[in-house]
Amino acid sequence: MNTLIYTSVLGFGLMVLEVLKLRKWISPAIILGLSLIFGINIHDWNQPGSYMGNMLEISNFTVAFNALAIFITLLIAMLASEYYSDEEHHISDYMAIMTFVLCGAQMMLGYANLVLFFIGIETLSISLYALSGSKRFDAKSNEAGFKYFLMGSFASGFLLFGIALMYGATQSFDLNKLAEYAMGTSVSPLFLTGLLLVLFALFFKVSAAPFHFWAPDVYEGAPSIITAFMSTLVKVVGFAAFYKFLHVFGYLIPVKFDWLITLVAILSLVTGNLSALAQENFKRLMAYSGISHAGYLLIGLVGAAAFPSSAILYYGLGYSLSTIGAFAIAMAVFKSTGSESISAFNGLGKKNPVLAACLTATMLGLAGIPPFAGFFGKFYIFSEAIQNGHFYLVLVGILSSMIGIYYYMKVVIAMYAKPANETKIEISLTNQLVMWLCLVLVLLIGIMPSLVTGLF
Amino acid sequence: MNNTMNLLTMITPAMMIPIFPLLGFLILSLFGKKLGLMSGWIASMAILGSFLCSINLFIGLEGDQQLNFSIFNWINSGDLQIEFGFLIDQLSLIMLLVVTGIGFLIHLYSIGYMHHDEGFTRFFSYLNLFVFFMLLLVMGNNYAVMFIGWEGVGLCSYLLIGFWFKNPDYNNAAKKAFIMNRIGDLGFLIGIFALIFHFGTLDFIDVQNQLTGFESNAPILVFITLMLFIGATGKSAQLPLYTWLPDAMAGPTPVSALIHAATMVTAGIYMICRSNLLFALAPYTLHIILIVGVATSLFAAIIGIKQNDIKKVLAYSTVSQLGLMFAAIGLGAFESSLFHVMTHAFFKALLFLGAGSVIHAMGGEQDIRKMGGLSKSIKITFVTFLIATLAISGIFPFAGFFSKDEILAKAFEHNLLAWALLSISSMITAFYMFRLLFLVFYGQFRGTEQQAKHLHESPISMTFPLMVLAILSAFGGFFGLPAVFDSTHQLNVFLAPIFNASKLVTTEVHALSHSQEWMLMGIATFAALMSIFFAFSLYIKKQQLPENDADLTGFSKIVANKFYVDEFYHKVFVNPIMIISDLLLVLVDKLIIDMVVNLTAIIVDALGRLYRLIQTGSTGFYLIAMVLSMVIVMFIQIIL
Repeated sequence: MNTLIYTSVLGFGLMVLEVLKLRKWISPAIILGLSLIFGINIHDWNQPGSYMGNMLEISNFTVAFNALAIFITLLIAMLASEYYSDEEHHISDYMAIMTFVLCGAQMMLGYANLVLFFIGIETLSISLYALSGSKRFDAKSNEAGFKYFLMGSFASGFLLFGIALMYGATQSFDLNKLAEYAMGTSVSPLFLTGLLLVLFALFFKVSAAPFHFWAPDVYEGAPSIITAFMSTLVKVVGFAAFYKFLHVFGYLIPVKFDWLITLVAILSLVTGNLSALAQENFKRLMAYSGISHAGYLLIGLVGAAAFPSSAILYYGLGYSLSTIGAFAIAMAVFKSTGSESISAFNGLGKKNPVLAACLTATMLGLAGIPPFAGFFGKFYIFSEAIQNGHFYLVLVGILSSMIGIYYYMKVVIAMYAKPANETKIEISLTNQLVMWLCLVLVLLIGIMPSLVTGLF
Repeated sequence: MNNTMNLLTMITPAMMIPIFPLLGFLILSLFGKKLGLMSGWIASMAILGSFLCSINLFIGLEGDQQLNFSIFNWINSGDLQIEFGFLIDQLSLIMLLVVTGIGFLIHLYSIGYMHHDEGFTRFFSYLNLFVFFMLLLVMGNNYAVMFIGWEGVGLCSYLLIGFWFKNPDYNNAAKKAFIMNRIGDLGFLIGIFALIFHFGTLDFIDVQNQLTGFESNAPILVFITLMLFIGATGKSAQLPLYTWLPDAMAGPTPVSALIHAATMVTAGIYMICRSNLLFALAPYTLHIILIVGVATSLFAAIIGIKQNDIKKVLAYSTVSQLGLMFAAIGLGAFESSLFHVMTHAFFKALLFLGAGSVIHAMGGEQDIRKMGGLSKSIKITFVTFLIATLAISGIFPFAGFFSKDEILAKAFEHNLLAWALLSISSMITAFYMFRLLFLVFYGQFRGTEQQAKHLHESPISMTFPLMVLAILSAFGGFFGLPAVFDSTHQLNVFLAPIFNASKLVTTEVHALSHSQEWMLMGIATFAALMSIFFAFSLYIKKQQLPENDADLTGFSKIVANKFYVDEFYHKVFVNPIMIISDLLLVLVDKLIIDMVVNLTAIIVDALGRLYRLIQTGSTGFYLIAMVLSMVIVMFIQIIL
């Protein structure tokens, strides 16, 4: 509860700083503010509660994912202060909007009422539409923002319609009441249709196939920093919200819709991995990689009633850290070479061996190779799925992660086996700091997964 | 009570023994570049620290006291529990003193020997790592910890043989040593698995306690001991796995002294002594060990006669002496074998270091045909080398005399044939060692003018270890005086707690009478003197020189070519394996595996390109695709 309030205050405060012409203080303020909010959030650990007439509920699940979301935003804010440094007159807008994305994310993590759920998703999405188009003079950025907005509003329409149908069947938005209804003997088709529509909207948010079409275009067009933000925060929060939504209805969704989630998981794995093979653009590659990771996480949601949330937290943490670490390096490379294709990395191994080694580590992490966190993330999901009897799903998962290694290695090969171009790569101190932070954490939880999985 | 307290206080120094060289290794490998020549001193001090701790333990442990402690629980799997623990008893103490003491001297020597080398710090970090693993091997309280050390010293041996890795021949020698050791290790591993299978534990003491119920020559015991012995033949260079040791001389000379003479190669003997009760209960295996030991001793000695490389002569001599030690084990005389391990460590390390000093003086020359007359220019080296040569030849009262005599006496008690063959081998040893001595240090200088000018005695850091080792080689034998001198055999008394149990199960042969002992000593000394005289007449009086390789004929050609064993192994083992692997490469790898892999990759890649086409970029299409999939899902849902 406090977390949400202070995050909103931070967002407004950043805009006030702009008005007061204290532009220099914006970056320090957001970093300091997010750190404080992180602490405030941790304070709620083991103190469950329900607020605002049971609109918002705080549990350890919420606190843990909130912490992850705040941490991701913090890392992105650090990178953003560097990224936007040459576009200074807008920095407060971007930073404030980012903070509002975090607000939306916190609502999605703590909702106990479908209205708050909707408001959360909309706050998050609308902020992101604006951020995607934040490079005002870049046609691609504009296209990305507009495409995202158009398709996103479509999805929002379905979500709202689904919620309305569920309300029609139960006369309530409250999750407890909905859960009670779902446990009852007769569930009306109206309610089921509503559920299905909400599921579609969630598939869209986490960019699972066949609702993924927006992702590659938007990821490619959006400013790199926003791509990194979307591909980590939105995905992780989307899945946490998804997981929570499935859990509310107990065995109703596994019984009725497991086939759908299974199908979408397989489609995402196949689409994400196969399409990534042919990509030449690094950001598009990461978009398809994100789709395939949605597939892996969806494996964890099949039969979600039996699945531990810590596995999703662990996977989300490992994935986010690897992705942000990769973007911290990639953004420096893009800036120096002026190109966003994989060939921009050519010869990095010779020019800057440390950066190349770090990028290799993040790629290996994403591909799921020990000792990085990606390995145990996949391992937990696969082993849980096997225990629940989803053998074929795991088979598809393993086959597609084999394909995954191929395209992640494309970046590595470009760095080490291709001749170098002349341009020198310069990486700022902030980017280096974020990179090392991500790498150390990924390795740490990769070696000691119980740090995260032991939380709950 | 007092005793237990006393023991507990000794755990810390015991722990420190392996930690010192490990720390040394870490420091050198992390900061070596900045340390420069200091690194040699740091490495030496690390070993000195271990040596002082070992002395501390040696003084602290009284009578049959043992220090057996576990550091952590290492492997827990079902009923099997393996601890990472150390056992300090009389046996490991002797080895600890030898390893750290001689190790320290050789480190010191290396500071002088290697100081021109660009890999100076790398050399010392490997050397410290080696000592660390050797200490694990010696201190482990079960076969698993011993095995770590066993493999670790093998690795370091590999790294150090190939230390000058720019020379492909040296790399090949390193690989050969590694592979041959792997063959032996396989046997060792099978032995370990059999131990787990039958005893459910790898702890030395647990295994020993369970042995009471076994009959002599129980098949499982014979099997286990044979497997362990195969492991020992690899590490200790016995027939048929000995050929790596002469090639291992490619490494720097201090390495040959430390690893391939004094410590690592005796690991096999240590391992068998560690399991002495096991072996004592398997007389069949002991018999095989005796045969292998005697054969190796004689075979290697014969090859030694015709070698012209100073280090190769010493290498074959080492193989031959190791054979002698194995023969002692085969006779059930574990403590005599260990006695010889000790004295051999003294004089063989000295011989190698002396050879290193000679090579140093000659500017890298190793061929004894191009030396000669060096006694005048490198006096200290000459005198110490002479002492070592006298010791290895078994001349009274030098160290080798006592230990060798003890083994020969044991052979005389048990098996006359073995005694005769070992005596011949000893004679040959005396002959080729004095041949070496005469050719290197007497007569005319046969090197180039430049070398003659370059001749100089080595620095003090090199000659000091030579002198210490010379003292040990001269007087080291007094630790084990034979019964005729009417004094106690201190080493045997010290080691008694280790071997008491196995003494009870081996067949007792009545001890030799004093007159018999005198006679044996007389024969041995006479034989050695005869050999020396023979060498003297050939190489000093007639001033003969070894023939050029091309001029050799008949038997001497066969001997000079080491009985063509290497060539035989190459034809019979290496070539067929090469042919088979070439075949597998072409047929299985290139044709089948590559085709399958490439085909999969091509298909997947093509699918990826096809799939890409769906991403048209048109928002209208995306929306239609989304809505269409929703409709399909809803339709299916209604049907379901």
